[in-house]
Order: sequence, then C-alpha cells, then structure tokens
Amino acid sequence: MSMIGCYATGIFPRPKELISITRDYERGRTGEAELDKAFSDATSRVIEVQSSAGFSYVTDGMLRWQDPLRPLAENLNGVKIGGLARWFNNNTFYRKPVVTGELSWKQGAGSKIVDVEHLPKDLPWKAILPAPYTLAQLSEGNFYKDKIELALKYAKILREQIESLVKQGFKYIQLSDPALVYRPRAGRISRNEVNIASEALKLAVGGVSVRTCLQTFFGDFCQILPEALDFPVDDLGIDLYETDLDRLKGYKFGKGVALGLVDSRRSLVENDGELVAVAKEILKSIESDGVGAFFVCPNCDLELLPWKRALEKVEVVSRVAKCLREEFDG
Amino acid sequence: MDKLFPTQEIGSLAKPSWRVKGYRGEPLAKEDIAEALSWGRKLGIANLDTFTEVLHGKDSARRRKAMLEWSAKYAIKFLESAGLDVVFDGEQWRSEMYEHVVRNVDGFEFLGLIKSFDFRYFNKAACTRKPKYLRPFYVEEFAFTRDNAKNEVKVPFTGSYTIVDWTFNEYYEKRLRGKVADFKQRKFEAKRGFVFDLIKAVVRPEIGKLVDGGAKWIQIDEPAATTDQTDDEMKLFVESFNETVKGFNCTFSLHNCYSNYEVLAKHACELHDCSQLALEFANRDSKQLGTGSVRLGYKELASFEENGFKGNYGIGVIDVHTDFVESPQLVRDRVLHAVKIIDNPERIYVSTDCGLRTRTWETSYRKLKNMILGAELARRAF
Repeated sequence: MSMIGCYATGIFPRPKELISITRDYERGRTGEAELDKAFSDATSRVIEVQSSAGFSYVTDGMLRWQDPLRPLAENLNGVKIGGLARWFNNNTFYRKPVVTGELSWKQGAGSKIVDVEHLPKDLPWKAILPAPYTLAQLSEGNFYKDKIELALKYAKILREQIESLVKQGFKYIQLSDPALVYRPRAGRISRNEVNIASEALKLAVGGVSVRTCLQTFFGDFCQILPEALDFPVDDLGIDLYETDLDRLKGYKFGKGVALGLVDSRRSLVENDGELVAVAKEILKSIESDGVGAFFVCPNCDLELLPWKRALEKVEVVSRVAKCLREEFDG
Repeated sequence: MDKLFPTQEIGSLAKPSWRVKGYRGEPLAKEDIAEALSWGRKLGIANLDTFTEVLHGKDSARRRKAMLEWSAKYAIKFLESAGLDVVFDGEQWRSEMYEHVVRNVDGFEFLGLIKSFDFRYFNKAACTRKPKYLRPFYVEEFAFTRDNAKNEVKVPFTGSYTIVDWTFNEYYEKRLRGKVADFKQRKFEAKRGFVFDLIKAVVRPEIGKLVDGGAKWIQIDEPAATTDQTDDEMKLFVESFNETVKGFNCTFSLHNCYSNYEVLAKHACELHDCSQLALEFANRDSKQLGTGSVRLGYKELASFEENGFKGNYGIGVIDVHTDFVESPQLVRDRVLHAVKIIDNPERIYVSTDCGLRTRTWETSYRKLKNMILGAELARRAF
C-alpha cells in the first residue's frame, strides 16, 4: 500500500464571526469591503485548520459558495438562477440553475470558483466541483435536447475549468456526484444512467494529469458497482453512512478510495476506534494488488455542521488517518 | 362547518416591530408606536389608551408579557376582520415553530448556526438527553386565543417528526453505539427511538393539556414529512402522526408544504383521524385565470384522491412567498379547479399555502381579503 491520506470533501461551515458579518451585510449594516475581508480572514483560518490537521491536500474551504452549485450557475453564460429547492434530503436549500442558452464561461469565472490567493505554497491543493451528472439532474430548462446532452455539455465546460485549475497548480480534482446515488424511491439506478455519468466523466476528467476523484454521497455507492470501477478517475468516494457495507465488501477495487467515515450530517463526534475498525475491515476486503491510495474524509460537505463541531470532526479525520497509516504502513 | 369553502390561515403572521422590540426590551421608535396605533384603529382594537401606555412604558417582565398579549389580540382581530372562519393568534407567542418548542423541552442543546442558503442560517439543536416535559409551551397561548377569538380556533402544533428531522440526534445514536453495526440502520433506529420518546414525553402531554383546556382542533405541522422519501421513513412519519393523535377527543389535521406530494399521497390514506390535509399549491401554480390545464400547480391533488385519502383538503390558494396579491377571480378558479378534482365541494377548505410571516401586514391583509372574496365567488357557483 502506497498512501493513506486525508482531506475535506466539500464546503466548510462559516465561522461565527463571518456569519455575523454576512448577516450585517444583508441588512445593509456593513459594506462590500468588510464582507470581502471577513471572507478572506475566514478562508485563511479554514486553510490553517486543514494544514494543522495534516491533510494531504488542502482546499480553500469554499466559504463564499452560497450553495453547492452556485459558483457555476452564476458564472456560466446560458444559465439563470432559479427558485429555491431542497438540497437532497437535508434541511438546506440551493437555487436551481435554469439553462436557457448555450453554455460558456463568463470572463474571470475561475477566480469566483477557487480562492488561490490564500492557498499555501508548501502544500498540495485540492479543488472541488459538482459532477456533470448531478449538475444536469438538478438543472431546469430545455435549451438542450435532454439531460444526456446537458450532462455532456456540462462535462465539456467543466473540463475547461479543470484544465485551468491544473495550470494554476492544483494537484487533486474532486467531482461531487450525489445525484448519481441518491435514489430514495426509484430503486437502483439504471445501467444506462451509470453509463451516461461515465461518458460525462470521461469528457470532464479523462486523461487529466493530476489526481482525480468522483465523490458520491447521500446514497448507496454499491448501486453503481461494478461500472464505477471503470470510471476514468483515480479515486472513488463513498458515503459509509448510506452504503450497504456488506455488499461493498464483495468487490475488489483496483483504484483509490475516499472513505466517507466521518458523518457531516450528524453532530455526534465519532469514536476513533470504531472508525479505524470499520475502515480496516473495508480496506482489507476491497483491496487488490493495484490499489494506490486510501483517503479518510467526511462523507459530504462539513457545512451541514456548525463550525465548532466541524472542527472536531476534522480532528477525527486526522487521527483516524494517522492510526490507519501506523497500522498499514507500519 | 355549514357553509361551503370555509377559510383558514395556516399559522404564522409577521411580528410587528413593536412586538419584536418590546419583547426584547428594546426602546420603541416613534414609527413603531405610530404603526401600532394605526393598525389598532384600523382593526377596531378596544382600550387603545391602555395599550398606548404599555407602548410608552419601561421594560419589565410584565410589559414583555403584555407585548405578547397585545400582539396576539391584534393578530386575532386581524384575521377575523379580514373575514377568516378559522383563526389563531398568528403564532405571536412563538419565536419560531422549531425553536419555540425546543427551548421549552429538556434534553436539547443549541449547537450553532447552519447555512440554510445564501446568507440565511438556522440555529440547530442536538438532542443530548432523553426529552423531558418541562412546562406547557402552547397552552397559555391557546387559552388567550380561545378567550379573545370570536371565530373557530385551530391550534398549530409543530409535529414530532419535523422536530426530530431538524435536530441532531446525539443521545439515541450514542445509545446504539456498539449495538447496531451498520451505520445507516443505526441512524434510522436512533431516529425512531427519538420520535416516539418525544411523542410520549412531550407531544402527547401537551396535546392533553390543550384538549383539557378546550382545544377542539389541532393542526399538526410537518413540513419535514417528505424530506426522506424512503418507504421506511414515510412509514415512520405516518406512525408518528397516528401515535400523536391516538385517543384524544379532538379534531386533528396535517399541514405540509414545499414537499413531494406524490410521495405523501401514497401514504396519506394511512393517517388515522386526519380530518384535513392543508397543502401548499399556489406557489406551484400559474397566475392565469381559468380551470383545467392552466392550473398546473394543483395536478398532484389528484394523487391524494387516487391513493384513497378520504378526509378534507385545505387548498393553498395564496402564495406566501410573493407580494403578488391574488385576485378574487384567481382564488375562485383555483377553488373551482380543486372541486373538479375532488368532486365534492364539502371537502374543501380555502387556505393560504403556509404561514404569512414573511409578508408585511399590509400585504397579508390584502391577500387574505381577496382569498375571502374569492371563496365567496366560488360559493356562488353552487
């Protein structure tokens, strides 16, 4: 085994002071400059949290993201911001992207998506974007023929951004794909849909020169097996709080896995020992000769927790990764 | 009710600035006092001189209580003078539907703010001990409304399933640690334990007190009912409702909104003693006049009928998230369209989609007035 790492998989919660300034801003009690400074300060803090925890890759924390799709919806020509909709089965909301024209990036979109300025020079950087399949599923509008055409178009658009991120020095690209596994009533996703997601992934990240991951959450990863094992990404992210662990153990992966061992949707802080035991059991059973890496991570965006509790969970991620490293790498 | 299409509000009205500041003990501005007196005159509130003294008075526990009472009195009169058949106090005694309950029950701790969307956040609590009844949280408010309302009273009551869904479940998950290996199964079983303990320890005792105090109709508010749409979760929701209302000599109804009605419809007929489903529809609908295909927002109403729901419906005809004031004709057409689907006008109550708390009193009043005019226009068709 060559590597056991850890990292964040989504948007961090905003610290209390930042929340207070965003509220003041909305009520007209403070200006753009103060708001911007508060975001910058909090971004530095979130980066510091990750580097102190020994994360293998650091993100900018995505604090400015108003929801998990917004920076794309706001920075693409051909998209209008639609009404509020529930973010899967959570009590949080996103604004629906409504596709009304040919998709292309607005000028200067990159800087609205990642905050490179605050990222440390001495640590590898990770960027997180929504996956094309999820983007297409959650969008409205009928400019494109169907969801397939839309997913493939989103994939091409994402590719442009990803190439640019790689040029800027990002070493890890995660695409978040909850819609691929969240199916509370529809039963197992059809093989046809999985193939569409795979095609879209090929366009978005196939052959990209840095490490890539497809992060799934809010649903059972097993339903996209075995096809997911051939997805054109280095790592596959699994939400262990939604996945049938026994079924998972029946597969040999042959690629990296990002184990969503820490639950961003529960405030109860996990027991390190229990997580280490679960991780060991899974890793031993899905391991095959070709496995390159294991990452310990939260199952989804930590922003579903209040700031303080999210920090405690970051510590759990860090400790569990360290413990596994000692066990496996000796 | 004897007449066709009785009209009702769902629960909350905005809190006037004098109520918010007065209850916090903050000084009132001239405009706050002017607003209070202007609405007081408009609504024909009695003893305005006494209230003026309260408004100019110094902060004290007594004055804070008076602020709640006066704002409740205003809200009741507001709803009655608009012409509603069924009223409450606009939830003027409650900070908010979730927080009000959680702050009055032992076993919860607020953990901090979580982003709802954009720059909006909500304060989320964790259940850290077994929930325990501390004190009545709706009873006094109900008694005040009962004594001050002329029309029929319906008490909005935040449902157990929604409280559990909006709360971190630490106590019950911790108890199952080491006992249930599968994370997903553990989470669900912990939720189940939490729901039924909350019903037994808190919800039913409070309902008992309301019924003893003369409550005839309680509306269980469950906006989270279809957040998780699996069969197991929907069954849990249904069981929670049935357990909540079981055996009380009182009418119960259910309010749900901004949800997946296809899923709710499949399970609605399993709800026991649910006399009415009050649902949001206007928000999904077009503003065009007419019945039939233009009434896009009401298409899922048919699913409830197809799935065998036999109770009444509270049909949302007023969108609470926009300042657009629905015309009486639009209200009429929405009601008449619903009649076509339900095929029995006696099963229809006319409602707002949800509480009006995000609208100003001016807008709310205009909307409610037109709702009542629209219901009257619909009645003329029979």
